[in-house]
Amino acid sequence: MNDVGEWGRPPQRLEQRLAIEPDGTVVARSGKVEYGQGIRAGFARTVAAELAVPIERVRIELGETERVPWDMGTFGSLSTATDGEVLRVAAALARRQLLERAGARWRLPVDSLHVRDGAVLAPDGRVLSYAELVAAEPLAGPLPEPSTLVAASIPEAKPFRPEARAIVTGAARYAADVRLPGLLHGHVLHPPRPGSRLRMLDATAARALPGVLAVVVDGDFVGVVAQHDAQALAAAQMMTAQWDAPPIAGAPFEAVLRDDAGTDAALAAAARRVTAHYHMPPIAHATICPGAAVADVRADRTDLYVATQRPFGLRDEVAGLLGLSPARVHVHPQLMSGQFGRGNVGDAALDAVRLSRAVARPVRVRWTRAEEFALSPYRPPLEAWFEAALDADGTIAAWRQRVRTQPHTYGGADVPAEFLLMTAGRNALPPYRLGRARVQLEVAPAQGRSGAFRSLAAAPNVFAIESFVDELALAAREDPLQFRLRRLDDTRLRRVLETVRRRSDWDARRHAAGHGFGVACADYGGTRIAQVAEVVLEGERIRLERVWCAVDAGRLVHPDGARNQIEGGIQQAASWAVLEELPLHEGIVGAATWHDYPIARCPDAPHAIDVVFTGDATQAPTGIGEPGSVPTAAAIANAVCDAGGGRRRRLPLMATVRDREQAPSP
Amino acid sequence: MRLEVNGTVHELAVADGKRLLDLLRDDLGLTGARFGCGHGICGACFVLVDGQPVAACTTGADEVAGKRIVTIEGLAQDGELHRVQRAFIDEDAMQCGACTSGMILSAVSLLARTPAPTEAQIRAALAPHLCRCGVYLRAIRAVQRAAATP
Ligand code: FES
Ligand code: FES
Repeated sequence: MNDVGEWGRPPQRLEQRLAIEPDGTVVARSGKVEYGQGIRAGFARTVAAELAVPIERVRIELGETERVPWDMGTFGSLSTATDGEVLRVAAALARRQLLERAGARWRLPVDSLHVRDGAVLAPDGRVLSYAELVAAEPLAGPLPEPSTLVAASIPEAKPFRPEARAIVTGAARYAADVRLPGLLHGHVLHPPRPGSRLRMLDATAARALPGVLAVVVDGDFVGVVAQHDAQALAAAQMMTAQWDAPPIAGAPFEAVLRDDAGTDAALAAAARRVTAHYHMPPIAHATICPGAAVADVRADRTDLYVATQRPFGLRDEVAGLLGLSPARVHVHPQLMSGQFGRGNVGDAALDAVRLSRAVARPVRVRWTRAEEFALSPYRPPLEAWFEAALDADGTIAAWRQRVRTQPHTYGGADVPAEFLLMTAGRNALPPYRLGRARVQLEVAPAQGRSGAFRSLAAAPNVFAIESFVDELALAAREDPLQFRLRRLDDTRLRRVLETVRRRSDWDARRHAAGHGFGVACADYGGTRIAQVAEVVLEGERIRLERVWCAVDAGRLVHPDGARNQIEGGIQQAASWAVLEELPLHEGIVGAATWHDYPIARCPDAPHAIDVVFTGDATQAPTGIGEPGSVPTAAAIANAVCDAGGGRRRRLPLMATVRDREQAPSP
Repeated sequence: MRLEVNGTVHELAVADGKRLLDLLRDDLGLTGARFGCGHGICGACFVLVDGQPVAACTTGADEVAGKRIVTIEGLAQDGELHRVQRAFIDEDAMQCGACTSGMILSAVSLLARTPAPTEAQIRAALAPHLCRCGVYLRAIRAVQRAAATP
């Protein structure tokens, strides 16, 4: 699988990015996709502001491989920072060209002209619409460097999501909703471990079922196509197969992220040493709609209607599978349920392609919930060991940290070392002054389908680091927030900490019985974020009361969208921390229903999540999709400790309650 | 079998054991009820049957013969959004939208029974609906906003 591309630069020509249609609609194109993170809204706002058109007249085309420029994929919270910036520059260049064209026609200097409501205005009141100005010749030209064009200021506006109306009326189309003429339905018999060899198959009974049109066996691939989904599912469940699982491949990858001379000696000589070991279990993406795709494989072209975060990667993979040129494979990303890394693998789409090829008809594959748990990638477990030395005055004199996990990306043994480092090593280096330090990372070969989940290894690494820093603060008898501030140099990170300190009234916090407060912070890819959590312990239950969060993500393109992302990141990460653990045995998932893998429900949500943005409008935007989820687990665990619940070094925090409640599951 | 869906009466031949969700999505093309789990646990497929929110994925089509079914597609009247739909837009109480149909229908049912619900009642009404994107607080605010809208 070709999962690991170069960090390719997006194409830099205006005509690939932006066009004005005869009715004045501005079309802007990006290879990114929308899965609820609000990039369509953000892009639309940016383009509308630069071109002074009402946002309703902007259409954003996302991920349609036929029409949008190549893109590596939608991940890393990079869409606004990279492609949003390219679209902004494209729109700014378009504005300049439109002004120049109008100026040339009127023989007026450009700086005497204005743009408003999709048209150029002359001082004497004459008007030329954008559509008129491009009728003879579409806009074109190389895009300049962003810094040469000043950003238009984007007005604060009430929430605007282009998809919102379709979502609330049910008209929104997800992959499973696509209907083509003559559509058939398929299911695939997946081996418990990827890459298994088919040893034996008995499909006799399945073939005889009503509605079954074909049983497709192709090497180790086994699937069935039927008139209706339920028939295909029944047939697949009636087949019996035996598989030979492949050995777990690859050698562990080890890296030293930091290695100061004299670390061991400084630890040995210290007045006080603190050690701890943390464990984060594997967790599931648990997206609401299971993997689904419609494939229409024909002799001359293949169309795919899918949920994917990598439309071009999927296109190339399918082209390879079919032996076609990528130009003949067209990927149409549909609206998708929250992906958060889930959509980096082709899965259901590849199932549908193989079945459609076999029967020469369009085929839909929609996984069951059990398949979604068993086959979709999960975040691998992570363990971290720490040893730190504190001087008599509380200075951290030495620090030793070892992290062990599995790949937080796809591609098995083929993943290059720097990619393993970038993913599994994300946020493994603490932001504090540590004295002499050694930080080691070990990435063991994946046992199953370990992969990328929101923020990659940052959330587990930060849980471990920020819990341990809390332990040091306690050992030093310092206020945990003050302890952090005293050891941080980064002014932006300090500012978000100071902000949550004020917002949460940290210094005046009161400890009613069972109440506790905890703080944590991180610098995630340039976005500085700090959170304070307040919890109440009710017996063995942990009730999250409130979260205060301060974020510095530079300039905000879509402020309420950014707030929604941060709130959602906190809510999701609170669920990971308090409730979630994917049962896993040698890479094989032991969860089939939501009873086996509970996630937070509405009554579990805190009373309030207070989010403030401290970013400077002159600074380039950084990511907001992932960072919200990064410090939450540590803030909650630190609050649990503060509330008298003891230091919990294993997630999920409420494992005992969950086990008891889930025992009688149906 | 006779079935009223969003105000239209359908006469349908229904295979034994067919689930209401498949009937709506496959036979009537109403895909706004989403498939999330098939076990009645996630709430993505909820519809109103005689005003009550039910999981269409675990309801047999034969169980709803003669009943009044409202799906998310049936809430807006003549293009005019229901106040709960409007409120979900105004609060931007959605990200991917996979959970939204179900949440809105449960909220509509709640407000029909309890015009001025407490926050606890709203949370309980939304409890069947899993949201992986984490918009719970916005959904609560949307229901409060809808309740305050005449
Ligand atoms: S799909 Fe019906 S409750 Fe989940
Ligand atoms: S908005 Fe994505 S599941 Fe609720």
